[in-house]
Amino acid sequence: MTRTRKPGISRRTTLALMGAGAASLATPWVAHAQAKTIKIGMPTILSGRVAQLGTSSRNGVMIEVEKVNAAGGFAGRQIEMVVRDSKGQPQEAARVARELVNTDGCEILIDAEASSGAFAVHEVARDLGVLCIHTNSETSSLTADPKQHIPNAFRTARQGVHDSIAGGSYAAAIAKAKGLKKWATCAPDYAYGRDTTGEYTTYLKRFAPDIEIISESWPKLFQPDYTEVVTKILQAKPQALYTCLWGGDLTSYIDQANIYALFSQMEVFAVNMADYTALTVVKNLPKGIHSGNRYIKTYPATAENAAWGDAYKAKYNEYPTNWSWENATAIMLLAEASKKANSADGKKIAEALKGLKIKSPFGADGTVTMRAEDNTLVGYAIGWGTTIPQEPYVPEVKPGDWKTILELEAEWKKSKGYT
Amino acid sequence: MSELQAGQGTALDVRADTKSTRYRDVLIALAAFVILALLPAFTGSKFLLDFVIRCAAYGLFATSLNLLVGYTGLTSFGHGMFFGLGAYGFGLMMQKAGVSVPVAFVSTLLIVLVFAAVIGAICVRLKEIYFAFVTLAFQMLIHSTILSWVSFTGGDQGLRGGIPRPPFLGIDLSNHLHLYVFSCALLVLGLLLMRQIAQSPFGYTLRMIRDNATRASFVGIDVYRAKLTIFVLAALFASVGGMIMALFVSGAYPEFAYWTISGEGIFINMLGGVTTFLGPMVGTVLLLILNDTVTRLTEYHGIVLGIVILFFAIGLRKGLMDFAWEWYVQRRDAAKERG
Repeated sequence: MTRTRKPGISRRTTLALMGAGAASLATPWVAHAQAKTIKIGMPTILSGRVAQLGTSSRNGVMIEVEKVNAAGGFAGRQIEMVVRDSKGQPQEAARVARELVNTDGCEILIDAEASSGAFAVHEVARDLGVLCIHTNSETSSLTADPKQHIPNAFRTARQGVHDSIAGGSYAAAIAKAKGLKKWATCAPDYAYGRDTTGEYTTYLKRFAPDIEIISESWPKLFQPDYTEVVTKILQAKPQALYTCLWGGDLTSYIDQANIYALFSQMEVFAVNMADYTALTVVKNLPKGIHSGNRYIKTYPATAENAAWGDAYKAKYNEYPTNWSWENATAIMLLAEASKKANSADGKKIAEALKGLKIKSPFGADGTVTMRAEDNTLVGYAIGWGTTIPQEPYVPEVKPGDWKTILELEAEWKKSKGYT
Repeated sequence: MSELQAGQGTALDVRADTKSTRYRDVLIALAAFVILALLPAFTGSKFLLDFVIRCAAYGLFATSLNLLVGYTGLTSFGHGMFFGLGAYGFGLMMQKAGVSVPVAFVSTLLIVLVFAAVIGAICVRLKEIYFAFVTLAFQMLIHSTILSWVSFTGGDQGLRGGIPRPPFLGIDLSNHLHLYVFSCALLVLGLLLMRQIAQSPFGYTLRMIRDNATRASFVGIDVYRAKLTIFVLAALFASVGGMIMALFVSGAYPEFAYWTISGEGIFINMLGGVTTFLGPMVGTVLLLILNDTVTRLTEYHGIVLGIVILFFAIGLRKGLMDFAWEWYVQRRDAAKERG
């Protein structure tokens, strides 16, 4: 009896191929480690309600990565970005971050997550020891709390407590000049809204002690209808209103409050107004809303900042967001640190980052600094001004005083038991 | 041989039969555990180990949900609350009380037991859509509590600062490999226990309640008590899944107790099928593979996953394991007919 061989691949060959396939799948990072390019992993939110956070963060990173690559990359190694969606879920952010490092061979993480996702990625950085730059979380405790501190994690975002001090002192000055004693607050009902409002009013009262909060509103995050909030505030008849609503919530609020002519009856302080995502979407932007600068290309009023904003607009056909500059800053700092360390190694870059001061279009004095004591960004542009309905939207911005900010921040840290 | 004796004979046969199935199940479980535990010796892929840990967390959760949906006919839309409670209970216990891992594990189970008993006592009286909606309402209540009780739970930022894991009995859960083996052990043990519940007389009582509750109560079964018992048991297994997830991400987040987790559980059951015991486990592996590959390839993963759901819900009208099982039964019967 003769055995005939079927044409095609034999079982043995198939097994051998499968084995080889499994082996190559299992050990991809060995090849990556010696590769010339350096991979940077970026977990962020690219889908859902705040997808704009992810896309504008990615844009901010890419515009700088192209410049760095054109200039030779990190110590001669070209940068390859691996950006992946976490859907805004912390467990997905943790998973994606681990996958980026363990499977894709990323040697640096840029954590462009919001709120809880940033803390989840922080734990991954603690576990894997990989260099990690938090670019979007403004929660102060992420870097201020010594329990959170790890030597391989840094933050290039603005910080809640800095904004509150700058905003509080600005508002107090106006309150004194105009005699605004009765205040109302309106903030989204979640940690950011509660914390920011609490800190802001603390500093407001500290600079102007005779101020009184007569009404508080806590609409739900992503609430579509603000009628009852608007009428409640109008009935309380405050002289001034503070709000930290943001994005779509802020624009719907303004559109709805416009119907009741709220803005002609009180001074409004909206910390998140001066961001193009809000400024360009509001139907009738009222004149004279006080706002902190999120990102605006006219402040700092330098040629570098204007050029950066225009280049971004030319490339992506929209203006940058607050997240864009924060993520761009991460790449700028990394590039400078890698130059200083003359290396693309995460550990060496981390050492070089500590206390590093770089030239930056987003600096209050043309520079920003990675503060060595708690690995967080200081010296970025922070200021307040009032709106007009057309470009440049916030023509004059009064800069916050970094000396005061740093003094009061140190005091705040002490009161929280952080130092 | 009298009729009585004959009746006893069959009862004994059945008992011997269940005993042999039980041995078979234990053997399969042991074999599965050995294979999983040896996996790291053959591959250095941390990705694969992460994948199995996540499968353990979601697999326990989904299989426990199937005890309610598939075996008892209770479609819970709020099962995720026990996943979240497990994660938070364990995380808080480790962070605030500073106890050892086994103590935190057991006390979390006790806490979940109390919650599930109270919530179950209210919910299992209701039928179908009312049951589904009241479980959902309780889930939202727990989710909102986690969100608003900032000083205790950390609010929407979750439990921060990592979960400490002091070594116990030579097991160090901050070591990735130890965590992996530990999760595998919990998964296999959990599945084995749930399998025993499903195959026990109690398990058959549940199927009877699912098929005809009125008839069950006429036979003398306390339907309410049986439903409550399985509700609490399922909650306990779901909370073990939550604890594994908390260990994996070293934290607990409100999303763990949100309705989307319950939704994922239901989706896993649809993918894998609810008529076989391992259906949800297969569904878990499928969903995680789908999720991981699709999110790698495109930002529009929502569309892809949606199409897959539609395909299973409208096209197949059953899960993957249901198909596999039917195919197997058909072949077996055909073989029998041929002699």
